[in-house]
This record gives sequence, structure tokens and C-alpha cells, in this order.
Amino acid sequence: MDSNDKSATGAANPYAQTHEVQKGDTLGKIAQQYYGDPGLYMQIFEANKSQLKDPNKIFPGQKLVIP
Amino acid sequence: MMTKQYKLAGFLTMTAVLLLAACASQMEPAQTAIAGIESAISSASADASKYIPDQLSGVQAKLADLKADFDKKDYKAVLAGAPALLSEAQGLLGAAAMKKEAVMKALSADWTGMAASLPQLVATVKSRVDMLSKSKHAPAGVDLAAAKTNLADATTLWGKAQAAFSANNVEEAVNAAKEVKAKAEAAAAALKMKLPGAAPAAG
Repeated sequence: MDSNDKSATGAANPYAQTHEVQKGDTLGKIAQQYYGDPGLYMQIFEANKSQLKDPNKIFPGQKLVIP
Repeated sequence: MMTKQYKLAGFLTMTAVLLLAACASQMEPAQTAIAGIESAISSASADASKYIPDQLSGVQAKLADLKADFDKKDYKAVLAGAPALLSEAQGLLGAAAMKKEAVMKALSADWTGMAASLPQLVATVKSRVDMLSKSKHAPAGVDLAAAKTNLADATTLWGKAQAAFSANNVEEAVNAAKEVKAKAEAAAAALKMKLPGAAPAAG
């Protein structure tokens, strides 16, 4: 069963978990917050490749999908 | 004098016989009328008891009154009330069918909505469980074990819901789907996930 922000039919997933980037956030800190493990930051990067080109470059206001 | 007395006795006896005969002649029609009403109720009772219980109770109460009249040998009252009650009893079948159709339509709409949303809910929760399973140390307050148990239950129940729907048992499918939602929401709560429309998790 596919997850993240779209279902198999392409309809938006109302249950998709997102995080709005705050000043000072890094993918590592966000991974720590949601997974208890900053080492899982690449999972968040992979889930947001449509808007992130570099895992070290995120900006306040960006809405990231948190798988 | 004696002849007059005999004539009077004869007249009274004849009157009594005629009255008894009249009563007896109404008993069978009254009995038949009641039997007809009972038969009409019986034909409708399965669906009527489920979909229009108050209407069924009303007809049954009126039948009880007619039977009480019959027991009191008031066959005239039975025959007077029976036609209207028979009509009511015969109407139960159609009324129950209409109500059943409306209920089934609503259930089908419920199923359509849940069939679209529940797989997304379960997949979202599963994704988080998978991620946390890779973590060295889950965040404080997260109960991964409870989430896994609830998620497994949700997945099993979803299979049952789909099977019930395929077997055209929409009511059972919707009831099972509601349980799926509850289990998936419980899993999400154990993971401290925020779901739309749900109360925020404590802590």
C-alpha cells in the first residue's frame, strides 16, 4: 500500500504527516523530533525530493512530508 | 293463564337461541379476520422489527386489543376494527422495504467514503511504524509495540470488511470498517501522530 501524500489513484492523502520548517531546523533535528534518531534524516529527504535538492538546505516555511 | 306463560317462555327461549346463533355466526369471521392480520404481520416482521420497530409495535398493540375483544366475545368490535388494522399490517412490508432501501443507500455511501480514506490512513500509520522500527530510540511517549498491535488488527479487519462488501453484506462491511478506523487511530495516537479531525494527543 503506497503512502506519503498521494494514494494510488492520485487523490491527496488527508492523513499525510507534514512539518513546517522553522528557523534553525535541520533535517537531522526534524528526524530526531519525529523518529528519535537524527540518522534517519535521509528518509525525510527522500520523501521530499520534489522540493529539496540538497538535504542540507531547507528553509523556514517549507512544508515537508514526514513518512 | 298457563297458555300465556308457555307462550312467553317460548318467546324468550327463541330470542335467546337467536341471539346465541347471531353471536356464533360472527365468531368465525372474527377469528378469520384476526388470523389474516397475524399473517400479514408475520410476513413483514423480519424487516419490520429491524427497520420500523415502532410502527410494528403499534400494529401489534392494536392486534392485542382486537384479541382481547375476541376473548370477551365482542365479535362485533373485532369485525369493526379488523379491516383498518389489516390494512396497517399489510402496509408494514412496504414501509419496511422503503426504510431498508434508505438505510442501505446510506451505508453504501459510508462504505464508499471509507474505502477511499481508510487505506490511506492505514498506509500513513504503517509508514511511520516502519520508520520508527529503524530508529535506535523512539521519541519519548511513543509506544511502538502498541502501535504495531493496533495496526495489525486494523489490517486484518480491513480484509474482513472488504470480504463482507464483496459478499454484498454492506452493513457488516461498514461496521468492520469503523473498527478499522478506530484501530488505525489508536495506532496513530500511540505514535503521537496528529490526524485531521482527531483530538490532539496528550503529552
